Amino acid sequence: MEALEKTELSILSEISHISNSAIDLTEKLRRIEEVVVRGMGKDGASVFLVDQSGKTVTLVAAIGLNQESVGRMSFPLGMGIAGWVAEQKVPLALEDPYSDPRFVYVPESGIENFKSLVAAPIMDEERCLGVIFVLSLLVWQATSSELTLLTTTANEIAGVIKSTQLIQNIQDRLSELSTIYEIGMALTSTLDLEQLLSLIAKNSVQSLRAQGCTIRLVDIPEIPSRKTFAAYNIAGNVIMDIDARIGQTVSDRVAREKRPILIQDAHQDAALCELLAAGACSLISVPLLFREKVIGIITVYTRDESRPFRENDLQFLTTVASGAAVAVENAAMYERMESLAMEARTRAQELAILNDIGTAMSTTLNLDRLLRIILTAATMGGTGLGFNRAILLLTNERTDMLQGMMGIGPTSWEEAGRAWGEVSSKHKSLMEWIQTGELFEHRDSALNALARSIRVSLTPAEGVMALTVLNKRPYNITNASSDPLVRRELRDALAVNSFATVPLIAKDRVIGVILVDNMFNQRPITEGDIRFLTMFANQSALAIENAIIHTNLETMNKDMRALHEQLVQSEKMAALGAMMAEITHEIRNPLVSIGGFTRRLAKNLQHSEEKKYIDIILSEVTRLEGIIHDNLSYIKEVAPQPVETDIAALIREILMLYEDELAQRRIRVETNFSPALPGLMIDAQQIKQAAINILKNAMEAMENGGTLTIRTYPSDAEKEAAIEFGDTGPGISSKAMHNVFNPYYTTKPRGTGLGLPITNRIIKAHRGRIELRNKDTGGASFTIKLPYGERGDKKPA
Amino acid sequence: MKKILVVDDEENIRELYRIEFEDMGYTVTVVSDGIQALDKMDSDKFDLVTLDMRMPDIDGIETLRKMKEKDSALPVIICTAYEEYKQDFGSWCSEAYVVKSADTSLLRETVKKILG
Repeated sequence: MEALEKTELSILSEISHISNSAIDLTEKLRRIEEVVVRGMGKDGASVFLVDQSGKTVTLVAAIGLNQESVGRMSFPLGMGIAGWVAEQKVPLALEDPYSDPRFVYVPESGIENFKSLVAAPIMDEERCLGVIFVLSLLVWQATSSELTLLTTTANEIAGVIKSTQLIQNIQDRLSELSTIYEIGMALTSTLDLEQLLSLIAKNSVQSLRAQGCTIRLVDIPEIPSRKTFAAYNIAGNVIMDIDARIGQTVSDRVAREKRPILIQDAHQDAALCELLAAGACSLISVPLLFREKVIGIITVYTRDESRPFRENDLQFLTTVASGAAVAVENAAMYERMESLAMEARTRAQELAILNDIGTAMSTTLNLDRLLRIILTAATMGGTGLGFNRAILLLTNERTDMLQGMMGIGPTSWEEAGRAWGEVSSKHKSLMEWIQTGELFEHRDSALNALARSIRVSLTPAEGVMALTVLNKRPYNITNASSDPLVRRELRDALAVNSFATVPLIAKDRVIGVILVDNMFNQRPITEGDIRFLTMFANQSALAIENAIIHTNLETMNKDMRALHEQLVQSEKMAALGAMMAEITHEIRNPLVSIGGFTRRLAKNLQHSEEKKYIDIILSEVTRLEGIIHDNLSYIKEVAPQPVETDIAALIREILMLYEDELAQRRIRVETNFSPALPGLMIDAQQIKQAAINILKNAMEAMENGGTLTIRTYPSDAEKEAAIEFGDTGPGISSKAMHNVFNPYYTTKPRGTGLGLPITNRIIKAHRGRIELRNKDTGGASFTIKLPYGERGDKKPA
Repeated sequence: MKKILVVDDEENIRELYRIEFEDMGYTVTVVSDGIQALDKMDSDKFDLVTLDMRMPDIDGIETLRKMKEKDSALPVIICTAYEEYKQDFGSWCSEAYVVKSADTSLLRETVKKILG
């Protein structure tokens, strides 16, 4: 008895010693088992603990049993010896446990080596914490004092477990607090939202011994870069992407209800099968609340079925979430501020650029110079908009077309590199360029030629350019080859797949379009670019409108001046006409007398010297009369008196009149009159005069004779009659070509220079025209073209 | 013998026309203005008149109107240095309009056409 008491004292003393050591519970239990085995002189021992659910007992420490069973072997309460003792809360000694109906054999557990056993419940007041077994290799019938010793030891073990758990709880709490502190520190350490979310997720996963964490943020529209999901999975120290949708159904409910949800066992709810599919069996989802508003949801989950989340985990995550919410909101606020500041900075920069460009534009009212400034500004880096190429088109209200005016930009990579190098090496601002005049040096590029060739009808079917005008809005084309708005011709001409167009709007009216692209550096055109370009286009449109108004005023002024000059001219002509009429009368009468009497004298003189002189007088009189006639014809403008006339007959009449002179000049006449010509409504006298003037001109051109070809034919799709006079003279010099229709211009020593101007005037009065050219075969060709007019019915063939 | 009255304020022209027409076999009377011409019509009967346009006192058009009042059947050739009224002669009821020229052939042809 004494020996056993001694043993008991020594066991209890050793247990209390072990209890105070700093090792963990299972190790403590193992050492206690050693002490008990040794103290009681037996061969093995094991401890089962009731788990958190209170429904099963599990082997946590063993001596003499297979160590692989530790942590694995467990029984529901009431089952097996351990389950029975835990449930009945009474000690039990079995000399031959294998014959006992309560025994459940677990193969390969090592129990089969032992013959007898004793078990005692580990009791904490009325609650059973577990069961301790002592095992014997020999048949052993335990005494009551041995049973008491084990029960006492079991009570001591209960104390060890409780104190260890208490310490563990305190340690956990401490660790939680320190984690929360650390998270708090971490949260204030960064304003970068990404980094912050990552920190929150990582700390939550580590603290809760979870397998994953997702953080969903409620969308904030003004921060487009902001992610909706941040998801983390911890394996070792590596953060891996996991499916962010895990627990979405739950977190949606959390967002709606603004309160946390704890799911201890996903198996309990059919609606949560998606969780199981993702491998999560338990989760906590907590709203990130900032001023009563849900700004996000944090969800952690675990795959460890033996360790589902508990209420205290939820409280922990709620604490973390409240700190995180503030930090997230701060970071979001910071991001918002930053983006506002960035925008303010961009705006200020844009305004500065626009101001510079505005100043540059105000330097000229010349449209061509202005367009050059605008397009240079659009394509300049630094103080410009920095597009690679720009084309400006203006609308033409009269024709309802969009017409390319100018294009600026390099035509090749090499040129692009050179041009940009040049600009950047010179560091010139737009104003400097203008002031040095360098900007206006004419550089006729292929792009400019391309720009000027663009004509687009203002109908929707014409695509993006017309639509820019019609809908008064910009278009950012990112994939021209598949965009139905981009017509093939335009795409081929531009040879780029993305470009943008903005309307030039002045006083609510679209006056044109600016087209830009980044053909060479391929920089995508952003919405920001479009916004800035639109501002730039509005400014440009006003400047262009001003320049156009100015040009119109100038043109109007010029027209007025021309009209005034014309008026003065016609007044002069009228005065001259009146004077000429007087002179004519005064000169003609004496000429009639001189000529008339001389003619009479001539009749009586034959072949004498006097006859020769008289002929000179007569020819001079004739010439003077001709001059008077020409001058009068030119000065007075008589409206044509149209009568239906057969052109061929008219020409024949003239040829008859000049038959002698033509023969004298050794000029052969070939005629070819088209029978298809109708009778024309013309003033026969005037047209005869016009034709005679051309005939005379042709005769004089052929000083040494030649061939005069006169032909008539229908022209301009049978809407006009052509009368062509071809000679075999020397042709017309280019100088004469421009002057033959100017009054008083003559190449002949004795001409008045009025013949062809009169002809021209007559033909114009008939709404016809004269074409003049040198024939390929030599000689000149005059063609009168007269419209058929209203009564120009076709003659029946 | 057909009788022609030549009305012209230029003496030389009157003389030229007189001899030209006489050569053609007509009897010619010449006067230097419209009033004399109208007087002559009262005392004599003519087959044709050549009438100048610009004359002192009463001009050719006025003279022509009065002549036609006296004898609407009397043919009158307007014979003037002006070209610009050529298209109007019909409305003045004259029979022809000839621009004065040193070459009198057109005038002579016109006279011959009217008098036959």
